[in-house]
Amino acid sequence: MSTHSKAAAQFVADAARTTWHDGALWAVRAKRDRMAQSVPEWEALRSAASEIKRHTLSHLGHYLTTFERQATANGIQVHWAVDADEMNRIVGELVARHGGRHLIKSKSMLSEECGLTPYLEARGIEAVESDLGERIMQLMHRPPSHIVLPAIAVKREEVGTLFEREWHTEPGNSDPTYLTHAARKNLRTKFLGADIAMTGVNFAIAEAGAFAVCTNEGNADLGTSFPDLHIAIMGLEKVIPDYRALGVFTRLLARSATGQPVTTYTSLYRKPAPGKQIHVIIVDNGRTETLADTAHRNMLKCLRCGACMNTCPVYRRSGGYSYSYFIPGPLGINLGMLRSPASYHGNVSACSLCYSCSAVCPARIDLGEQIYAWRQEMDLSGHADKYKKFAAKSIQFALSDPERFRSAVIAGRLAQRLPHGLLNNRFNPWYGSGREMPRFAPRTFRELWQAGEIRAAFPSAPASAPGENGPTAPQNHPTNK
Amino acid sequence: MNSKEQILRRIAAAHSPEISYPAFDFTPQHFADPAATFAERLEAAGGRAVWADGQPLDEWIRRLYPEARRIASTLSEVTLTTINPDETEDPRTLCDVDLGIVRGSFAVAENGAVWIPQTIRHKALYFGATALMIVIPRDAVVDTMHEAMARPEVCEDDFGYGCFMSGPSKTADIEQALVFGAHGPMSVTVVLQ
Amino acid sequence: MKIGLFIPCYINALYPEVGQASYRLLTALGLDVDYPLEQTCCGQPMANAGFEHDAKPLAERMEHLFEQYDYVVGPSASCVAFVRESYPGLLEHQGEKPCIGERTYEICEFLHDVVRPTTLPARFPHKVSIHNSCHGVRKLGLSSPSELNVPYMSKLRDLLEKVEGIEIFEPTRRDECCGFGGMFAAEENAVSIRMGRDKIRDHLSTGAEYITGADSSCLMHLQGIIDHDRLPIKTLHIVQILASNL
Repeated sequence: MSTHSKAAAQFVADAARTTWHDGALWAVRAKRDRMAQSVPEWEALRSAASEIKRHTLSHLGHYLTTFERQATANGIQVHWAVDADEMNRIVGELVARHGGRHLIKSKSMLSEECGLTPYLEARGIEAVESDLGERIMQLMHRPPSHIVLPAIAVKREEVGTLFEREWHTEPGNSDPTYLTHAARKNLRTKFLGADIAMTGVNFAIAEAGAFAVCTNEGNADLGTSFPDLHIAIMGLEKVIPDYRALGVFTRLLARSATGQPVTTYTSLYRKPAPGKQIHVIIVDNGRTETLADTAHRNMLKCLRCGACMNTCPVYRRSGGYSYSYFIPGPLGINLGMLRSPASYHGNVSACSLCYSCSAVCPARIDLGEQIYAWRQEMDLSGHADKYKKFAAKSIQFALSDPERFRSAVIAGRLAQRLPHGLLNNRFNPWYGSGREMPRFAPRTFRELWQAGEIRAAFPSAPASAPGENGPTAPQNHPTNK
Repeated sequence: MNSKEQILRRIAAAHSPEISYPAFDFTPQHFADPAATFAERLEAAGGRAVWADGQPLDEWIRRLYPEARRIASTLSEVTLTTINPDETEDPRTLCDVDLGIVRGSFAVAENGAVWIPQTIRHKALYFGATALMIVIPRDAVVDTMHEAMARPEVCEDDFGYGCFMSGPSKTADIEQALVFGAHGPMSVTVVLQ
Repeated sequence: MKIGLFIPCYINALYPEVGQASYRLLTALGLDVDYPLEQTCCGQPMANAGFEHDAKPLAERMEHLFEQYDYVVGPSASCVAFVRESYPGLLEHQGEKPCIGERTYEICEFLHDVVRPTTLPARFPHKVSIHNSCHGVRKLGLSSPSELNVPYMSKLRDLLEKVEGIEIFEPTRRDECCGFGGMFAAEENAVSIRMGRDKIRDHLSTGAEYITGADSSCLMHLQGIIDHDRLPIKTLHIVQILASNL
């Protein structure tokens, strides 16, 4: 049993919560579908996004240096960090040089990836998450369970109890509007008291030396409105060539993520305001290794919209915490393996290979196909489950010759004569929480064929073709390529 | 070797295959009445569009925001202004003004967004005001973000900060229930003048 | 035109009636159908679990047994998808020789795209709910995937509409995975069974008496849950409906 499988079983055991989690995320997927349907050129847009990303990745050095040059000309200061440690150190130094102990953050997966908040807290810097969902998780001392909907696993009553404890909201009031406005009021003091603002970067536009930050709450914009120092951190795959490309991505991002035609705020930072500073840190932290990995390079096309999570039938029914990597779902399975197969191979089982993730991805990343590829690579790297390997070897042995197959079927038929409870119980992984074993047929198709019973009633007759045009010579599959 | 050189060297060593910039082989959607579509989609995003129809902005402010007392704007035609945000030293004082009236340059039909290049001293007004009124020229509506990005106000002008804003601030972080006024304005009205 | 009937291992052992219906249906349409006796398994079970190289000897075996046929036709979308997608890679070493992957068809796809019968000699006066299996939808294109902005299309529905007396339904989440997934069903059994229960509920809510599809593997998983929960619905492979009068 994989780490995911064990944790998922615990999640599923709470049937009502599983139903809620599945339903809430399916509703997001359904909204996304309506948005996709409302744009006639949707599939062409996805192709354009994929091609722009592939193009950018093939000229990554050029676009990153162009971005640096243009941004510098605009008065933005650009830094480069090879890994998480260096990024954290640069942030630490910028904060120390500037002075101040209060940093207001907007959501950034890179910050989670690099452990920036604990790094700053250890140095006496308060780093407050300003996105409501992120703030809820921060106050609960739990990580986000979704990259776009951080608090999706938390029920309103839990938020009510939390806010009552933290901010003395009305006991028992768990109305989302009431709670959101309580958070607005409380966070205002954090926004106004901040010395430093930090944001992520959704897109860094090379030709313009500007970067885009997308939010619905306006927290990034409000956060950067007061402090003199704005630090923006970006994974190096966030660079795009030009505004033309930004047009494509801004049409896809929110529609895919939450089913909105665009995020409420798509903000472009191009030059620091007079007397203020903007610093951008370009972070590698393993991304150039992914770039060199021909099988998994595509992961760098990711926009972090989370659509693959919302559509994943396994994620919806197992929750973010059943995955051992901080990013869950199909994206997290892949990114975890790119980070460290030894640490995160326990998530690779969390996929039924339905390929819905590949079909929703706005950048056409073949997420499902890559999970399939990881399964093959795990065997080679020695991370495959030994029982599963044994099972596969046994099946291969039994199926590699019709006689062995026949013997296996006979053994199966005999096993079926055992009392029902001996076969159908929780120790049988097929039976699990209640799934009966299929029954072997009294005679296999092969046996029936050999006995002539298949053909007897129905002799094969190459008569004239019945179809409109009749079958013709083999051709390429006409419809589905 | 510094970090930049190290990263660039690794990128070069990755030998990513040459892929050219794609031609866009599609025609972006076009709306028969872009302004009407804009109004519809802005409303879906929680905002509201009104056509000034020659009526002064003061009229619209009285009609739509009769409760507003602290009103901040740099627009000379607004006489109900109580605060000139450009004369304000500390942007923090712009938080929680009842109404801000600002200029945007054009609207996007497909998503109800308005492009607002920062033309005031403190962008805090855009996000700190409880309600925001954005004034744009009545004919300045493009169909999609493709057109928006090609507008000179975006790709040529020398702005420092700019924002595509689609309706009021919102969140659904508590049980996916939509709530307006997460951190930014609770209400947004776009006036097509 | 000679057709090699590809009967996947589990259909051979558990559902010979599906093989039989396939044979009857193809022959009734005037086709020359043969069953290479020595076939066993295409290798998909090992490959999906992460042991694709173990599938190589099976792929070689399949290639050898079926290379003489114009078409290879099987009643299992997922097995066909595996042969079509993975065999070219698994059999790369055999050089220029055309691989059977290119001419291997799922039976509905074969009927719909190649044979194209105007009528079918079938009558099935029941309510059926179509089970759009993942590999059938997203790998073979048997129907339009719900994620894509493409016109609705379903080869399964097109064929079922030729059956007399039938009433056709589809679940609300029309191509959500049922949770079978090969080794996934055992390794992630808690989620797998939960997915199956949800899927059956969706099929049940259509009012259908039967769940029908092009993959006996999904149906086997669903039937196991139906049997355990004693639910008022049955699974039936689509060829059994298309061949219902034969």
